[in-house]
Amino acid sequence: MPDTTPLLQIRDLNVGYGQKPILRGASYDVVPGECLTLLGANGSGKSTAMNAICGFVKPTSGSILFEGQETAGQPPHRIFALGIAQVSQARDLFPDLSVEDNLRLGAMRRGGREMAKTLAELYERFPRLHERRRQVTRTLSGGEQQMVAIGRALMSRPRLLLLDEPSGGLSPQFCEEIAQIVDGLKEDGVTMLMVEQNLNLAFRLADRFIVLRDGVVVDGGDVRAMAGDHDAIVRSIYL
Amino acid sequence: MFMQLTLSGLAQGAIYALIALSLTVVYRSTTVVNFGHGDFVMAGAFLSYVLVVLGGVAFLPAGALAVVAMFVLGVLFNRGLIRPILGGPHIGLALMCIAGGYVLRGIARMVWGREVLPMPPVFDMPPIFFGSLVITGDAIVIISTVLVLLLCFFGLLALTDLGKMVQAVYQSPRGARLIGLNVDRFNDVSWGVGAALGALGGILVAPVTLLHPDLGASFLIKGFAAMTLGGFGSLGGAVLGGVLLGVGEQYAGAYLDSSLIEITAYVIIVLVLFVRPQGLLGRKAVVKV
Repeated sequence: MPDTTPLLQIRDLNVGYGQKPILRGASYDVVPGECLTLLGANGSGKSTAMNAICGFVKPTSGSILFEGQETAGQPPHRIFALGIAQVSQARDLFPDLSVEDNLRLGAMRRGGREMAKTLAELYERFPRLHERRRQVTRTLSGGEQQMVAIGRALMSRPRLLLLDEPSGGLSPQFCEEIAQIVDGLKEDGVTMLMVEQNLNLAFRLADRFIVLRDGVVVDGGDVRAMAGDHDAIVRSIYL
Repeated sequence: MFMQLTLSGLAQGAIYALIALSLTVVYRSTTVVNFGHGDFVMAGAFLSYVLVVLGGVAFLPAGALAVVAMFVLGVLFNRGLIRPILGGPHIGLALMCIAGGYVLRGIARMVWGREVLPMPPVFDMPPIFFGSLVITGDAIVIISTVLVLLLCFFGLLALTDLGKMVQAVYQSPRGARLIGLNVDRFNDVSWGVGAALGALGGILVAPVTLLHPDLGASFLIKGFAAMTLGGFGSLGGAVLGGVLLGVGEQYAGAYLDSSLIEITAYVIIVLVLFVRPQGLLGRKAVVKV
């Protein structure tokens, strides 16, 4: 029987930038092994939620429990050490370092003891990164850079992987590659929380979804249960 | 004469390179240009003076102690004065640096007034003669110390995991946070290293110059000129710019007019900004519209 004890529990989370509230009392759980996608229009608070979980913004109130431990307001390096890694929308790679340096850096603060093994596994998963391991990262295509960003996060052997717009700005061909990568991670049991504007991709990859509107959770459920009625989800996002 | 000028320029340029490098270390980590850095150089020189002349400590341990003290001061300066306002406007950061520098200068003035202090000669080595070329003990110590230091610095940066982490912080602070690095602590250490390297420049120059509380001002300008020439933000460029400035000053002073030595740095800043704003090793900024 699958473990349904939440890995991550968000409770009444309020986050704002200056006087402007972005998340207003959002609550949801992420259970081990699932891929949960956050849906919502621009400005609904999806990326803000990611950044609050990773410690880049301090919540004004509410709770973020990771494996029962309160992480709200902790700095990013402490949260990373617990096993939460993020692939950010901007990727935030180290452009003048090689692909391999970028990947190895992902394991230096966590997972370092198994670095060689993890790197070998990663190259099996991403043969193209192995081919380009000596190449300077800024010379890669957008899709390849996204692979490096995902690979770098995986090098830390995260307990929870956050993916912020993994298909953002990529060609359909690379979107398909990213989808296959996420499929592979799901098969390996990696727990994921994903923000994705490409709804087809989000519905294909996610097990569950929640919809944020103006910082509030307004809908949610099992993606498979809504298989024939994705239009209803789209309506709840935009209307 | 040409070789003698080149040698003098290399010794002077080694000091400029060290100061420009220390400014760049701070700039790359926090994007703050430390306008008070010249006074850190002065403080390093005065600390070593106090330890050698008043404390009776030998020059080598005195220099080491002064470097450690300035490292701690750099860390505390960032932690106490820069970090709390780091997200604010750059003019505030610039003013904080100037104010910090003037506090150091003020302390030196309180103690020594406008006195000019000679450090006893410490590089007491017989000169080496190669034909008409005279290599003084000062030049040997300064050039070899800076050379060893630069090899260690760039070797550490390029070949070690720690160096890769430093580069990661320089290239993307957010990316560095995403891989679990404590960027605030890195910045503290960068300010410490910047202050220590700058102080080392002051310590090396102390025995070959006269010390006074306003000593740092000219070194700050030389550091900026070297950074601009090499490429603002480029570590290698800072070193190259420093060496070229040192040698250029000597050539300009000898072959054109001796008064040019004082203004070479300013002329270089103006010329580089007009002809090649990104400097020799800097990358041209591309703005996507």
